[in-house]
Amino acid sequence: MLDDHLIGVLSNMGMISFIALSAYLVLVVGEISFGQQAFFAISAYASGIASAMWGWPFLGAVLWGAAVSGLAGLLLAIPTLRIRGLYFAIATLAFAEMVRLALEIFTYRVEVDGELVGPDGSEGFRDIRYIYEADISSGEFLLVILALLAVTLAAILWIERTRLGAMLRMVGEDPVLARLQGVNVNLAKIATVAAAGLIAGIGGALYAHLNTYVEPKIFNVMLGVHGLAYGLIGGLGTAFGPLLGVALDIGVLESTRAFSGYRMIVFGGLVAVLLIVRPRGLLDEAAVYRIRRFFVRKDAGD
Amino acid sequence: MADFLQNCLDGIAIGAAYALLALGFTLIFGVLRRLNLSYGPSIMAGVFAGTAAYMAFNAGLAEVAIATVIGAVVVGAYIERLCFWAIRKDMAVASMVSSFVIWMQIEEGVTLLFPDRTYAFPGILADSVVEFGPFFLRASSLAMLAIAALAVLGLLALIYRTHFGLAVRAVSENPEAARVAGVNTGLVTLLAFACASALGGLAGFLIAAGDQQITPLFGLWATFKGLIAMMLGGMGSIPGAVLGGLLLGTVEANALWYLGVETRDLIAYMLLFAVLTFRPGGLMGQAALMARRAAESRV
Repeated sequence: MLDDHLIGVLSNMGMISFIALSAYLVLVVGEISFGQQAFFAISAYASGIASAMWGWPFLGAVLWGAAVSGLAGLLLAIPTLRIRGLYFAIATLAFAEMVRLALEIFTYRVEVDGELVGPDGSEGFRDIRYIYEADISSGEFLLVILALLAVTLAAILWIERTRLGAMLRMVGEDPVLARLQGVNVNLAKIATVAAAGLIAGIGGALYAHLNTYVEPKIFNVMLGVHGLAYGLIGGLGTAFGPLLGVALDIGVLESTRAFSGYRMIVFGGLVAVLLIVRPRGLLDEAAVYRIRRFFVRKDAGD
Repeated sequence: MADFLQNCLDGIAIGAAYALLALGFTLIFGVLRRLNLSYGPSIMAGVFAGTAAYMAFNAGLAEVAIATVIGAVVVGAYIERLCFWAIRKDMAVASMVSSFVIWMQIEEGVTLLFPDRTYAFPGILADSVVEFGPFFLRASSLAMLAIAALAVLGLLALIYRTHFGLAVRAVSENPEAARVAGVNTGLVTLLAFACASALGGLAGFLIAAGDQQITPLFGLWATFKGLIAMMLGGMGSIPGAVLGGLLLGTVEANALWYLGVETRDLIAYMLLFAVLTFRPGGLMGQAALMARRAAESRV
């Protein structure tokens, strides 16, 4: 049906989309995070430990990984509440590097079926073999990724249509005004950063199980910057924005041979130019409003 | 105790390099109120220009130093035009993200031109050691410390004693008012950026000459070390940059000795995180930042 290369590309796009969506959520409340890869990493390890070492089922391991990384988001959100802008961004960067360097030291190994399994510091974490033991094909795993992504996307889109979504956007636009309108700005930020941690965690758990092997240096700052850049390219007006960014980078730049070797130069230049001409991305609030009005007017005309 | 003192000496030696990097960072932040994360990669590009001059023409030390500084200034000017001049003044965060993606561009560009892992760089004073009783310090580190001290004095004189410095301070305080008063804000910003890049190029030359080799990873190293040192001292503060650099060097050297190499970087980031959350203005940073936060939280 689909060839292996295409399945691989689509799986990568799906998993990276979780980081892009999580960075996007933080952008909606007006902050920049260079550190969403930390939650991806925490969940990759936590879910791998659950399935490979504790014998948990796959879905339980994914939920556990997401819960642990959501909790880590909460732990990051509370001390960083009073800092904003550049300071918040650098604090998230420091946090993510702390997590990565801590994983370089973290060792926890137990014997499973006569073999030592578990994270081994900078050697990484091998043998997260659940999907091979359960005989899940890469095509089936792609469906799992897409299903979880669809659920996450639907949840974000639904929240954006509610009063809560309007409150979050208000916090991002002007926190002082939002507070005067009776919005609990601190609670909104803490909840959003925790939710963003959880969403990145889903992606991390999927990544660990598809690759069967993770090591700390995968989760370096460039992964987080890519996740952030996807929202900025695709647009901050809707949750489809970051997905458009992922599609442009991985779908077009990485997967076609035309830019091989120059991908970073093209990608870097693209983002830099977009930040000048469209600082809130292709699908920014104004574009989303025009698209929505276009469809609504069409309905009214029928 | 003797170990601790020797560690502190080693820390001061590497801290001098951090301080030089932090000075350029802080100058850019002081003028623009924005952060240039591509600062390290622009220095790295300069150092590779120096290496190219050394390999292609077997150039002497002075020529290599000049090539390094010119390379850093040219790449710095490119960053300034694309990430700072072209982006609206109130979008500080967009500039920061833009400088981060340009970092990827510079790194890939340099890697395409210089595909090997490491390249040779001419050394100065690389093997000589100065002894003080039981303690010792590399001569190149001592030279770096002296040059960092000179750079601070030169920078303070430039900012507080010259007409150009007055214009820089005016742009930093209030770009609109400076423009109305007849300051060419675009030119002043570009020149201040060029000064910071030249300072960075000098720092890069001294560090590469001490190590006698250079890799493309130098950009990452320079940005992170300079950034942490500047943030520890307080963004925009010239004495703070030096203090932050020396503090970071001393803490790292002791962490390396007592806890090992993996823990050293971890401690450095924990220190940064703690300073950002408990004292966001840095050790010598603006009290005004804290006052504004307090005022906002009362609204």
